[in-house]
Parts: sequence; structure tokens; C-alpha cells
Amino acid sequence: MIRFEGAGKRHPDGTIAVEGLDLDVPTGRITVLVGPSGCGKTTLLRMVNRMVEPTSGRVLLDGTDVAALEPAKLRRGIGYVIQQAGLFPHRKVIDNIATVPYLLGWDRKKARARAAELLELVGLAPETGKRYPFQLSGGQQQRVGVARALAADPPVLLMDEPFSAVDPVVRAGLQDELLRLQSELHKTVLFVTHDIEEAVRLGDQVVVLREQGRIAQLADPHTLLTTPADDGVAAFLGRDRGLRGLGLRPASTVAVRPVGDGLRYGGWELALDDERRPIGWIDRDAVTAELHPAAGYRPDTDTLRTALDSAVLSPAGVAVALDAAGRATGTASREAVLAALSTPGTGAAGETAPSGSGEAEPGPAAAAAAGDPTDGATGGR
Amino acid sequence: MNWLSWLSDFFSAPDHRSGPDSIVHRVSEHLLFSGEALLYAAVLAVPLGLLIGYTGRGVTVVTAFAGATRALPTLGLVTLAVLLAGVGDTAVLIPLVALAAPPLLVATVEGVRGTDPDVRDAARGIGLTHPQVLWQVCLPSAAPTLLAGLRTATVQVIATATVAAYVGLGGLGRYVIDGLATRKYAVTVGGALLVVLLAVGAQLFFALLARYALPPGMRAQRRAR
Repeated sequence: MIRFEGAGKRHPDGTIAVEGLDLDVPTGRITVLVGPSGCGKTTLLRMVNRMVEPTSGRVLLDGTDVAALEPAKLRRGIGYVIQQAGLFPHRKVIDNIATVPYLLGWDRKKARARAAELLELVGLAPETGKRYPFQLSGGQQQRVGVARALAADPPVLLMDEPFSAVDPVVRAGLQDELLRLQSELHKTVLFVTHDIEEAVRLGDQVVVLREQGRIAQLADPHTLLTTPADDGVAAFLGRDRGLRGLGLRPASTVAVRPVGDGLRYGGWELALDDERRPIGWIDRDAVTAELHPAAGYRPDTDTLRTALDSAVLSPAGVAVALDAAGRATGTASREAVLAALSTPGTGAAGETAPSGSGEAEPGPAAAAAAGDPTDGATGGR
Repeated sequence: MNWLSWLSDFFSAPDHRSGPDSIVHRVSEHLLFSGEALLYAAVLAVPLGLLIGYTGRGVTVVTAFAGATRALPTLGLVTLAVLLAGVGDTAVLIPLVALAAPPLLVATVEGVRGTDPDVRDAARGIGLTHPQVLWQVCLPSAAPTLLAGLRTATVQVIATATVAAYVGLGGLGRYVIDGLATRKYAVTVGGALLVVLLAVGAQLFFALLARYALPPGMRAQRRAR
């Protein structure tokens, strides 16, 4: 665990970057520091690996004041990922990843073998290792940055706006990848971003900061979206936060009407092919047998937001529940989805705290991450 | 026609074929002076430049100093060196080192300072010590600039090493000065031509070095800038 104890930073010219912060970053979870530029979030992150020395208070790493540790040695035990990746331009990717193992005195063969493992772990092809950083895309460079940070298997990972410099699509991919990695590795992650969307998507715990590192709110993503501490936080969260909050809740709570119980809703009927894959909705009153697209969701991996979206998109107002192979398992009407929204217990109470990181997005790994929570949430589903 | 016949005279003269005044001997003398001067200059300038570039301290002083040295009259410096050290290698090496060191120093400083700040930050952040950052990150980053500085210095030194003859020493300057003294212009032109060829050859050598000896990552980075 990382603990900030009244950690503050005052610059020599008298300006205060961070007033003095108390914060616990729990082991094995992702804690996101989010706030506008100048709120001191990066300063706080850099205090952990002594890239910035606090002028007041202290930072403890598993109970030890980091100021008592030799900086270079401390840093080799902490993964560090920055916005521009900061790869060494003159070294091949494989040697970039192996940097810390080399520093720790591993022999070349072992370090490179480890680097090759990591290349695979972050989803890059083995031949990428022989390239130079300039030959990679921004997203690939960032993956290499993450691999380099993980090379010596440090328990703590500091990530300073690691995905801010890549385009939105690549960013979403990298975020998914981080959640997948985290579900396997369970690192203590301190993640800094100015993007609230990213914060609620990745964080088990989100710390909203305002100027001089003062905590505006510390909460799990669901609580943050549903009950912002004040107008300032609400404004920072932006519009549609209720709907976005649905993106943190599993679609599994929606009551699904099995296929066997019928596929008719009013004047609409869902047509399936031989494999039970939905073809479209048919308007039974219409003269022509025109097919209207049928939107679907995966109850096991998708969120309430996707389920609701599918229901809204469908002409019949009905979402199709699909299995991994894209076969319909049942249907859920708008009403059924809305009923799941208002079901007490799936929302604010037991569900919220742990569900944040894993369930934000589809994908088997996300579901696996969601399975990990420590309180009673999983039982509720 | 005059030029060509002068040159053929120059290259075919028996004295220039073998012995102490032979072209091969003069060229090797010339290269030896130049190489020695460059070596000393590098030993002085590169470590100092690495230190100044890395810490960022004294950059303004270095830049001003390097600019000022350009105003130094080499011939005057040679004369002064002869007065101080007497006729000998030292008297020639002092002005040549003074000529080569400033561009090398500036190139090293600029090269190190040109290291991508993000790369430096990452290097520190993942646990490289200061010497490791300097050696493993800043030096390779500075390599292209450093090489360019070395090229400038080399060409200047080769051209200027001609002054060795002025104080009675060897090298290709011998031909130029003796030719003038004895009104054998063929010899002067031949010597001058050889100096030019050497300088151009040095340019070419460094261009090839930059092309093939730099790590691929660094070469691309230079192109991208």
C-alpha cells in the first residue's frame, strides 16, 4: 500500500503545488488521481518514486518512508509509465523492455527472455522486439512503455497520463488492455489522468482533486457518478453521468425472457436464423417482410448501458440477449431493463465499490476482473 | 593547360615520389598532426561538454567562449606558441587544439541538451543513476550532433595544419610555403590541392560514419527533426 501522510510540495519560489495530502492507495487495486491541470496530481505521483521530494509530510510504501530509500534502487522496484512512453530511441524494443532487468544485473539472455514474455503479455507480436521505437505507432510505443514498467515484476505501478497522447480508439484499446492485465497481475496502480471518463472506467477508487492537491471527492466510480460531493465535482463529471454510470453496472441483472417463451412483442416479432442468431425484427402488420435491425447485448460481459442502448435502438423496444457465439438466448424489453436500473441492491449498496474497474467495458477479461471484488457484490448477481 | 602541366610536374618530381619530401610522407605528417590535435581536443572537450550539457550549468559561458575563440588568429597563435614552447610539435598542436576544441565542446553540450526530456525523465524514473543516464541515454542521443561537431573540427584542423610549415615543421604546408619561397608555383598548387582533397575526404568519411555507424534509432530521429 502507498500512503500519503500530509504530503505537500512547495516550490522554492513559494508557489504551492500540493498543500498536504492524506491518501491511502490500496494494494492490488487501481487508484486514479483525476483533476484539471495544475491540481498537483502528477506531483503527487512523482513523490512516490522520489522524482519529486515532498517539502512537508511523507510518502510511505508498505510502511517504509520512501525518503529513507536510495532513489535509483527504489525506482527499480516501481513500474513507471509516462505520457510519451519515453522509450530509448537508440535501443531495440526488446532491450528497452529489458532495461530494468539489465540494471538489476540479470544476464542478457534471461533479461531478453523476460522481455519477450512481456511483449506477448501486452499484446505485441514477437518480431516487434527487433524494431526501434520510431518504427512503432503511438499505441504500440505505449504498450512497450507498459511492458518496460512491468519487466522486473514490481508490485507498484505509477502511470502518469499514459494514454493521453493516443487517439480515442487506440486509447480505449489500451484501457481494456490495462484492465485485462490488472485482472491477471493485481498490481497496486496509481494512475493519473485529466480525463474523468478514463478515471471512472479504470479506477477501483477515484480521487477527484482540485487546486493544490485538495481532495474534492474520493469514491468508487459508481458513487462518484451518482452522488457527486458538490456542484464542482458534478460539473467536472460532465453531462449524462447517470447514463454513464450504467456503464459501470453489469447487464446480468436484467431479467431475460428465454427464447422458448416467445419472440413476439406487440406487433413485432424477432426473426432468428437456423443457428438462432437474430436476423431482425419483422413488423407483422406490414405488407412487406422488411427486416428491422435487432440490437443485442451480452448479459455476461456487457453493462446496463449497452442493454438499455440495445433496447432503445430496437424498433420493438426490446434488446436481444446474446451468447458468446452471437446466438439469441432471450429478449429483454425496455421495461425489463429499466426494472434492473431501479432494483435496489444492484446499484448503490453492495454493488458499487468493487464493480468499477472490471465491468466498464465488454470483454471476458473485464468480467474476470469484476469477479474479484472483495465485498458481497458478486453474490448479488 | 598551365594548371595541368604544373600538376603533372608536381606529382612526377622525383623528390615527391620518395624521401622526406615525398607526397606520401607529407600527407602522413599532415594527418598525424591533425589526428593528434583532434585527439587532444576531444579528450578536453567531450567530457567537459557531457558534464555541462547534462547539468545545464555553464552553457552560456561555453557558448560565449566558443564564439570568442573563433576570433583567434591561428597564425598569431602559432607565433605565440613558438615563442613560448619553441619550435616543435607543441607549437603547432596548441593552435590546432584551440581550433578544434570549441566546436567539439559546443556540439557535445548541444547534443546532450537535445536529449528528449521525456526519455531522460523515463530513464530516471525507472531507476537509472545519473552516470547511467548520461552514458546510456544522453551520449547515444548526442552522437549525431557530436559526430557533426567532430566533422567540422576535423575539416578545419586539416585545412589549418598547413601552418605547421610556417614554423619549420612538415606536413602539406611545406609544399605551399616552399613553393612560394622558391617561386615553384606548381608545388604550391599541388600542395594546396592535396589539402583540399584531404579535407573533402574527411567530410566524406564522416558523412559515411553518420550514415552507417549511428544506431538506427538515432539516424531516424535526425531525419525526423
